[in-house]
Amino acid sequence: MFQKILIANRGEVAVRLIRACQEMGIRTVAVYSDADAHALHTMLADESVRIGPPAPAASYLCGDCILDTARRLGCDALHPGYGFLSENADFAAAVQAAGFTWIGPDPAAMRTMGSKTSARAAMQAAGVPVVPGYQASQQDADLLAAAAAIGYPVLVKATAGGGGKGMRTVTRPADLPDALASARREAQNAFGNPQIYLEKLIASPRHIEFQVFGDRFGNAIHFFERECSVQRRHQKIIEETPSPLLDAELRRRMGEAALAAVHAVGYVNAGTLEFLVDPASRAFYFLEMNTRLQVEHPITEQVTGVDLVKLQLRVAAGEPLPFRQEQVSQRRHAIECRIYAEDPANGFLPSIGKVLRAVEPGGPGVRVDAGITTGDEVTVHYDPMIAKLIVLGEDRTDALRKMDWALSHYVLLGVVTNIPFLHAVINHPVFRRGEAATDFIDREFARWQPPVADPPDLVLAAAALAELLEGAALGSTSVAVGAEARGDPASPWHQVNGFRMGVEATR
Amino acid sequence: MNPEYTYQVGDRIKTVRIERDGEGFVVTVDGRAYDIRAERPEHGRLNLQVGDRRLRAVVARDGLRRYVAMAGETWTLERPQAQTKRRGAAADRAQKRLEAVMPGLVLDVLVQPGDAVEQGQSLVLLSAMKMELRVAAATAGVVKAVHCAAGEVVERGQVLVEME
Repeated sequence: MFQKILIANRGEVAVRLIRACQEMGIRTVAVYSDADAHALHTMLADESVRIGPPAPAASYLCGDCILDTARRLGCDALHPGYGFLSENADFAAAVQAAGFTWIGPDPAAMRTMGSKTSARAAMQAAGVPVVPGYQASQQDADLLAAAAAIGYPVLVKATAGGGGKGMRTVTRPADLPDALASARREAQNAFGNPQIYLEKLIASPRHIEFQVFGDRFGNAIHFFERECSVQRRHQKIIEETPSPLLDAELRRRMGEAALAAVHAVGYVNAGTLEFLVDPASRAFYFLEMNTRLQVEHPITEQVTGVDLVKLQLRVAAGEPLPFRQEQVSQRRHAIECRIYAEDPANGFLPSIGKVLRAVEPGGPGVRVDAGITTGDEVTVHYDPMIAKLIVLGEDRTDALRKMDWALSHYVLLGVVTNIPFLHAVINHPVFRRGEAATDFIDREFARWQPPVADPPDLVLAAAALAELLEGAALGSTSVAVGAEARGDPASPWHQVNGFRMGVEATR
Repeated sequence: MNPEYTYQVGDRIKTVRIERDGEGFVVTVDGRAYDIRAERPEHGRLNLQVGDRRLRAVVARDGLRRYVAMAGETWTLERPQAQTKRRGAAADRAQKRLEAVMPGLVLDVLVQPGDAVEQGQSLVLLSAMKMELRVAAATAGVVKAVHCAAGEVVERGQVLVEME
């Protein structure tokens, strides 16, 4: 096993990884940018090294800075977490070339699965269903014939595309020529490449993914599915397992397809196969593979009882998978909500500032993976996801009630969070029925605003009592309170001598 | 004289008056009185007893802003500026000195000293967590000085543009 691992990440995932290492008796090295000089992950690690200024390109994406640190501190392995360098095959190869173990898949498998077109080809060869499409020709006549064969509605997509640019939905053949022409123009303008291709449009699909693992001995297992259909702007916000859509038969078939994919590319370590599932036909299609640990991995850990990070370390150290597929079971129901520092009332703009108070919910079946705590700053530089709230219930109903409770008991003061939004989503009848598809948030919450209500009297009373009691306790030495209260003729500052609050007067 | 606290709720002002009463307090909110026992908050935790009900609030403050989390909900309250005179001066200052409301990266500066601008005209484009924010003129006027440049990272409260 490794002696010392460099954690090439920040925030909640860095904290999660460091904890797993510490529980296994492995020393850790954290890296940080100037913006994270006091961040939780730097305090938790055995050693912490500054790697650069706040901009990711100069710090968490600076492969050379990170490798230099690993060399200097005598690390023997590196864990990339997710985001940043985790899916950069060139960096993974550089890590290996420098003599360190890359805790993740081989760079070759990362390259194959990292490109949409090569991943699609590899999956087709392995017999894994992919979304029906056509990219053999750019001729309108060929495309019209192909669209008829695929069946309408179809999507016209830019080959070089991304971000929805050059994308058109076409519901009938008569509209296809115009859509092809305008998609080509837009693709040419956006990417300098007018090439387009066709894909079958799956109406209101479900996003269901399978957690897989391979070892160096040719073994592969999956840890069942995670449903991640609740997305806002293509960003997952709530995940759960088991999926309310799957039955045992569909789960078995998807699991087999996932394992076929792992074997086909000789995949080693943790990965995730994302599928789109058509709820009408119950057909599933390979979407893409994530060649790393995922944000939502905790729900799989909760229902299988397996620590995926520790398993990553064991497999990376050359150990075989310690169990066979039939020994892995899926018990009870887990849900994860991603807590973002963003303001739902203000167009979901990021909200930054100091976390004045953080009180996390706890107790049976509640897990919080947080990267911040009281006193920490949420800065402009990085992803606004600050924590993940995970619950494990006896069944889905119990898990939903637990999540409702836990969201109510998660206190984060000082930054605005999406907690009220999450609350509204998990209590929406469509989600409660287990019928939310990937268009659910856009359909039901497009113009959502947090309910506006006057604070109850007791809230105002609490605020005022806090001022009075804290003011009395702080005494005249507190510049901040004093300066603020001086201008207020009604302030108890002017009467503090007349009050005895049951605390010792400070003067 | 009993202490009185005011909070801005929407466009209204709520007044809370506190009287000491034996071991506890009589707290009056908009004319409704509550008998409440309370201890000094520790680590932001404020324990309250109202009749037979015991409640724990979590409280914090940041400038004039007050946060109260209680019974599963979080409330943000604002204390109004203390005095009309000060508020006038502060508002005047705010109109003349445009500050960054959140830390961010300056994407573009759209004006230079001497430019005449309309009320609401965008002066500076900021990017925070990949979202774009516009800093706009509070009133029509002439730009006196520009204190930021494209590519610069600015802190919350940093003055970006000064008006004459």
